[in-house]
Amino acid sequence: MQRRRWLRGALTTVGLVGAGGVGALAALRGRAPAVAGLRFLDAQGYRTLRALAEAALPRGGAFPFGAADTDLARAFDAFLADEPRERQAELATALLLLEYGPLLFDGRAVTFSHLSEAERLRHFETWATSEDLLRRKVSVGLRKFLLVVFYDRPEVWPALGYSLPGAP
Amino acid sequence: MTGGVLDASASTMPARVDCQVCVIGSGCAGATAAWELAAAGRDVVVLEEGGDYVGEALSMRDGMHDLLYWDRGGRATDDLSISLLHGRALGGGGVINASDVVPIPDGVLRCWQRRWGLTELSPEALAPYRARALEDLSANLPPALNENNRILERGARALGWRGEVMLHNRRGCIGLGKCLVGCRVGAKRNPRAVAIPAAVEAGARFFTRARALRIEGATAPRKIVRVRTLDERGYHERGESEIRAETVIVASSALGSAELLLRSGLGNRHVGRNVSLQPQLPVTASFAHEVRSFTGIPQSYAVTEFETLEDAEHGWWGFRVEPVAGTPGITASMLPTLGHPGKELMTRYPRMAAALALVPDGGHGVLTVRRGRAFVEYRMPDEQKQRYRDAAKAAARLWLAAGAEEVMVPTARPVVVRREADLAEIDRLDFSPATTPFVSAHQQGSVRMAPSERDGATAPSGRLWGTRGIYVFDSAVFPTSASSHIMAPILTVSRWLARRLLAEGA
Repeated sequence: MQRRRWLRGALTTVGLVGAGGVGALAALRGRAPAVAGLRFLDAQGYRTLRALAEAALPRGGAFPFGAADTDLARAFDAFLADEPRERQAELATALLLLEYGPLLFDGRAVTFSHLSEAERLRHFETWATSEDLLRRKVSVGLRKFLLVVFYDRPEVWPALGYSLPGAP
Repeated sequence: MTGGVLDASASTMPARVDCQVCVIGSGCAGATAAWELAAAGRDVVVLEEGGDYVGEALSMRDGMHDLLYWDRGGRATDDLSISLLHGRALGGGGVINASDVVPIPDGVLRCWQRRWGLTELSPEALAPYRARALEDLSANLPPALNENNRILERGARALGWRGEVMLHNRRGCIGLGKCLVGCRVGAKRNPRAVAIPAAVEAGARFFTRARALRIEGATAPRKIVRVRTLDERGYHERGESEIRAETVIVASSALGSAELLLRSGLGNRHVGRNVSLQPQLPVTASFAHEVRSFTGIPQSYAVTEFETLEDAEHGWWGFRVEPVAGTPGITASMLPTLGHPGKELMTRYPRMAAALALVPDGGHGVLTVRRGRAFVEYRMPDEQKQRYRDAAKAAARLWLAAGAEEVMVPTARPVVVRREADLAEIDRLDFSPATTPFVSAHQQGSVRMAPSERDGATAPSGRLWGTRGIYVFDSAVFPTSASSHIMAPILTVSRWLARRLLAEGA
């Protein structure tokens, strides 16, 4: 099933590239709004990460605070800016793969940022249990960063019954 | 010689520093060796890539992983299956460990003698060094267990399983519970608090934010250690320096030491092989009452029912189960659920207990350096996977016996256990790469000792085979897992090696 889906995605991608070249893929992704002050990510990468963060850590539910209330994508950008070049390249590739994930792995002519919040979460969650090690690695890497940074926010702690003891 | 600690990111490190002994790494091994050698009158320089963090500089937040751990806390095996935690700060792993003190068991030393030919490392020969390590660590029993530890102890008692309270190296602990991101009140009697001040007093010079890039002169009478100074947070290289020394002691952790040797083109085919990661598997449990595992001493009780300390091939073998606590970010990153269910799960944080299955391994890791970057590959054999399943079942039984409402093995497809009958679900875990939040905090064996070049990378003296005056003194030299917690074993062996070096006339 997984293999068939991958094949269908790959064929769709080849078809799109054949029909209009790389431009077709770019058109599918669309133009991301400009973001000021980024140190490493471009607007596209920032949008992909923001779309993931807001799906993985939505507002409301068990507690009101969500990723939309804190700019996790910008924190990721700041982190990446000080990483070695090879790591930067790997993480940028991971974001690109995620953006085209629905096309590559589900054969849908849509990119990650354009999915609804629920669809984004569902899509990303399949990566954690995918038969494909590359997707599992992307899942592990991105979720670790997002969760560590999000739950380090003091705004979240009251909902967790957590507080930081003051120094004597 | 006047000792001191110089921050190379804030001051100008001299372009060239001459000394008798250059120690690379200021953790349990490096600081102990520096102390011993400086006290014997040697001119010692210590290089440390990390910064110096004490008191208020330790925020106790998840963000400290960025500053206190290698690769900003993000180091992992090639396939991202195992998170590799090791310290990168003045004082090394002792700054960020759980402060457990478990000396090398006699059975392990006898195994090293019989199986690995390390005849000099007898329990009798090491006894004074073990005692000295315990003294340096102010080893003592914790005054009280926190609720997470008490629950596990209750579970063990209910099942009639063997367990023990572990020694620790805290004095004046006020139970902040954030030991894995450093102790703000300085309760840890670690190398930062003990060996480094003593070494400085004896004249050793420490340079922080000074990265040893390469060692040159394998057999030359004086070696050159090429150094890159770093910026304040250790992200970027800023300047260059070099150390010229008759003797170089590499003590940068099992991964860091092997990486440096490989980058320098030093040593034989055993360098970087036989890496023991001792990966640990978390098993969480929800209780009806508040556990608040994040306060008090996080790890002080061990269920030892399933471990042996004298396996003929490995020494320490089997597995043990110990409580653990994480800051909110690290805890969340180990749980498999996202979205609203993930947020809901985290609201159970105060009622959540957690344990680690500590499973000794057979050295299945390989570290290589490609284009200046280290990669760690690790292939887990089926026998080891079975011990993780056994350990996960044992942990689940312990939590259930103590009254847990629900136990979880937090794999990508989590296993949830509410009753004994659910335990069979654990058998389906195959631990495929990047599906399980394994954590490695006790890396060993990447430059193992052996009496001949054929079987190991260093001689029993710690001297790197094929070199003159280049030694490895840290957990990299252990042929198998020395213990479930390696701080005391490293202190023991590094002092023994340092004395031996002095006896050889270095």
